[in-house]
Amino acid sequence: MSSWLKDHSRTPFTFQRQSWEKIYNGYSGMVVAPTGFGKTYSVFIGILIDYMNRPQSYKKGLKLIWITPLRSLAKDLARAMQEAIDQIGLDWVVEVRNGDTDIKIKQRQSKQMPDVLLLTPESLHLLIAQKGRDKFFAHLKAIVIDEWHELLSSKRGVMVELATAFLRSQRPQLLIWGITATIGNLDEAMQVLIPYDVKKIKIVAKEKKLIDIISVFPPEIEILPWAGHLGGKLGDQVVPIILDSKSTIVFTNTRSQSEYWYQILLDAYPDFAGQLALHHSSIDINIRNWIEEALSEGRLKAVVSTSSLDLGVDFKPVDTVVQIGSSKGVARFMQRAGRSGHSPYAVSKIYFVPTHSLELIEVSALKEAVKTNLIESREPIVLCYDVLVQFLVTVALGGGFTKEEFYSVIQSTYSFQWMTAEDWDWCISFITVGGKIGRNYEEFHKVVKNEEGLYVVEKRRIAMLHRMNIGVIVSDAMLKVKFLGGGYIGMVEEYFISKLKAGDKFILAGRVLEFIRMKEMTAYVRASQGKAITPSWLGGRLPLSSNLSALLRKKLAESKNPAAREKELRFLHPLVASQVDKSHIPSEDEFLVEKIKTKEGYHLFMYPFEGRLIHEVMSSLMAYRISQLYPISFSMAMNDYGFELFSDTDIELSEDQLKYILRKEDMMKDVTASINAAEMAKRKFRDIAVIGGYVIQNQYGKQQNNRSLQASSGIIFQVLEEHEPNNLLLRQAYTEVFNQQLEEPRLVQAFERINSSTIIYKFTDSFTPLSFPIKVDSLRQSLSSEDLSARIQRMQEQSKRLNRKRR
Amino acid sequence: MIIHEQEITWAAHKLTLTNQKAIYWEKQKTLILSDLHLGKAAHFRRHGIPIPSQIHHKDLDILEKLILHYQVDKVIIVGDLIHANQNGEVLDFKNFLQRFKEVQFLLIKGNHDRIAERKIMDLGIAGIYDSYELDGLCFVHEPQPCEGKLISGHIHPGVTVRLPTNKHFRLPSFVVSEDMIILPAFSRFTGLDTKQVVQKAVNYAVLDTGIMVIK
Repeated sequence: MSSWLKDHSRTPFTFQRQSWEKIYNGYSGMVVAPTGFGKTYSVFIGILIDYMNRPQSYKKGLKLIWITPLRSLAKDLARAMQEAIDQIGLDWVVEVRNGDTDIKIKQRQSKQMPDVLLLTPESLHLLIAQKGRDKFFAHLKAIVIDEWHELLSSKRGVMVELATAFLRSQRPQLLIWGITATIGNLDEAMQVLIPYDVKKIKIVAKEKKLIDIISVFPPEIEILPWAGHLGGKLGDQVVPIILDSKSTIVFTNTRSQSEYWYQILLDAYPDFAGQLALHHSSIDINIRNWIEEALSEGRLKAVVSTSSLDLGVDFKPVDTVVQIGSSKGVARFMQRAGRSGHSPYAVSKIYFVPTHSLELIEVSALKEAVKTNLIESREPIVLCYDVLVQFLVTVALGGGFTKEEFYSVIQSTYSFQWMTAEDWDWCISFITVGGKIGRNYEEFHKVVKNEEGLYVVEKRRIAMLHRMNIGVIVSDAMLKVKFLGGGYIGMVEEYFISKLKAGDKFILAGRVLEFIRMKEMTAYVRASQGKAITPSWLGGRLPLSSNLSALLRKKLAESKNPAAREKELRFLHPLVASQVDKSHIPSEDEFLVEKIKTKEGYHLFMYPFEGRLIHEVMSSLMAYRISQLYPISFSMAMNDYGFELFSDTDIELSEDQLKYILRKEDMMKDVTASINAAEMAKRKFRDIAVIGGYVIQNQYGKQQNNRSLQASSGIIFQVLEEHEPNNLLLRQAYTEVFNQQLEEPRLVQAFERINSSTIIYKFTDSFTPLSFPIKVDSLRQSLSSEDLSARIQRMQEQSKRLNRKRR
Repeated sequence: MIIHEQEITWAAHKLTLTNQKAIYWEKQKTLILSDLHLGKAAHFRRHGIPIPSQIHHKDLDILEKLILHYQVDKVIIVGDLIHANQNGEVLDFKNFLQRFKEVQFLLIKGNHDRIAERKIMDLGIAGIYDSYELDGLCFVHEPQPCEGKLISGHIHPGVTVRLPTNKHFRLPSFVVSEDMIILPAFSRFTGLDTKQVVQKAVNYAVLDTGIMVIK
């Protein structure tokens, strides 16, 4: 082994040596290291070393399961592992098994497993669903979960927890190792993966990835900033960045933004044609694969992408990353920065391009976060019953389980440690008789108890349907977009296409397409030219992390007297001065409320800086509380910094009344009254219904009646609300609303902070630099883009005129 | 259950739209409804999807109350009586029909009605047709351009109603144009199509508390 290391002129990092030693000593654990420092080799080589030292303790068959969150990661990883094995001179075989694997190879694997198998959480569950699975795992030594931070706070993480508990019930000596990037709650992350009473250790690499953050400043500062507008102007400044780099990834936050920037860059520098690509999750998977390959081989100058390239294989030629607009979180920003400069000690270079000048505050905040290593936590998901009931059927399918024994297996996981015996009973009756009340579920026999007392699946059609639908990734109702003469372009949400008329033009995958007709879940188009709309995709809006929002408040407060180093804040000075002149810049212990009267009506702006999702809840709470004082109706708008209540009648609010509506007392009670919890739960139930098996996502075969099993989750939600209100999956939908959508703990914190702040209440007669972007965002939703530009200009003119008058 | 009514004059006939998703035609003492989708919940259960059976019983309850309320002689079901296969819930309907021997049940065949006609007749259905005419009105399952005045179903029409507060509701509706009526799906276990566009049509959206006219 040491000769192998010497041959490859590698000196192992301390954390690698440490993990080798611990694995040899029978520990489980978690390795925390930045990308590019050989995380993989820490654990993988450790297992090889253990094998070379005591080969007798390893039997023929599968020895190591390696979980990666992405299929695309597996192939390259397997190649690297096999290379290392061959060079060291061992006879182990490394193979991949997932949705892309050829059926013949899968069959061969089922007969004879390789020594190392790379899986996704889904393909591991599928393996557990196989008949005769026990022999697969008979000699399993270890399971490794790569990129654990990516899985941790998702339902896929729960899948990993359950599968690990199952494997451990088969192989009590199983070693469990996680590999993760730095997150805010590392100890918890390890506890979730290894909640068991075994020898375990957390190994943190001392090596740090260096990140160089460079702001792209607009040529001039606008006093009234508005989101999206800067794009066109800054395109010219992004071109030289791309030209000066070997290869660049341009990250945007939404698919529509990526389409927009692809056009901007092409317009700004037409020679990019052929060297610039567009990558997002609605683009045909084959095209995406081609782009990724071209990027690795250095054939592309730049790729405009969304979070679709956040993860995945290393693109060696990429030496520069550009972030367009807010990244909404420190971790995501660092992750994206890390996509450039891969080798250890190389500096990752990231340019930040603001979409409106206020976003420069965020650069200042991000710089500080990176310096102080203030990274978000990833909260694990608990009591996720939809995943559990799916898993129970999976286990039943591959050979069954007994109710008593499996209860303790499930309870040994982090996610289900608080599950009650009563809830366990419900889960069992859900998969056997359909629910609590037997007679209502006649003819339901998904899982049955056989003569040996094992819960198993007997019906072939149920088995097939279940196998096809294992997993927790729920896709939206998407339509294929195809050319009339064939040729697939990508996917668009049904809701977007439904608004189009024949002849309308839209942009997808960087092309202008003319809509012709819809037929059988496919939209037919022909290539076109000229003005076109960019589809807006649902769910593209990322929440702002609470770490970042706290830093934003701090930096905004500092912007009044910026330190010399704070280039971004100094640049913003004219804007800040105007905000001070018209209204106020809140300090960290202040909360700013602006009441603005314009020709259109009355606006109330508040600035909690908690992100759009929290503001959605807060604004409806404020509207509700004001309407308790006197009858009034509002329309609402928000961005990540604040929100607006707008009314055409005067919003009369004394300072005392303002304090009263901002009170923290009865907060959750009023939130519940002000929102439509059932409606929100219904939306959450969409995913739950698919995962829990109410809605079939994938059908087998092309049998004639395959539409006859389709029902929307909305209908099922209503049926359950009416007939089985205590259904655990239904209750889970409400829990998810309160924990994830309303972020109850964070909301409570925000109100506590506001209540201990000094409330600054300002009146003006024109928009302020802080309020303007929110107002523009609200207009955006109701106007086509042409009207928008004209109208914003008018508003800016009006404000300026008023200003001049005042002076 | 309260039956709310909306009378319309259509093709020179007086028809009563009800918020229970059926039309009463007084002159013919006939109840017209569509898309009952019998056995759908049971079909789901057989494939391992636990849908409670109350939803099916509730559909039949409402049908029973409508028949008794209007004292009808005839029920015309404009297609999709049976969702998929013959199962327990479909056989329930046989018992149901036994209690109304004096009422004539007619079925206009829908795309879902794929089980053998003999089996449908065995349930107690008096006649099965691809299309059917009565007193100048034509009944066909799927809406299609035709010479005369057409009553159909199939698409499960609905409308989206927006409130000033930006909330919106989707409601089942009768789509009524000059030449065509499209019935809402009678079954509660069905989806809604709010995208259908019929030229110059009026939607009569149904609620528990009444009927809302949306032009």
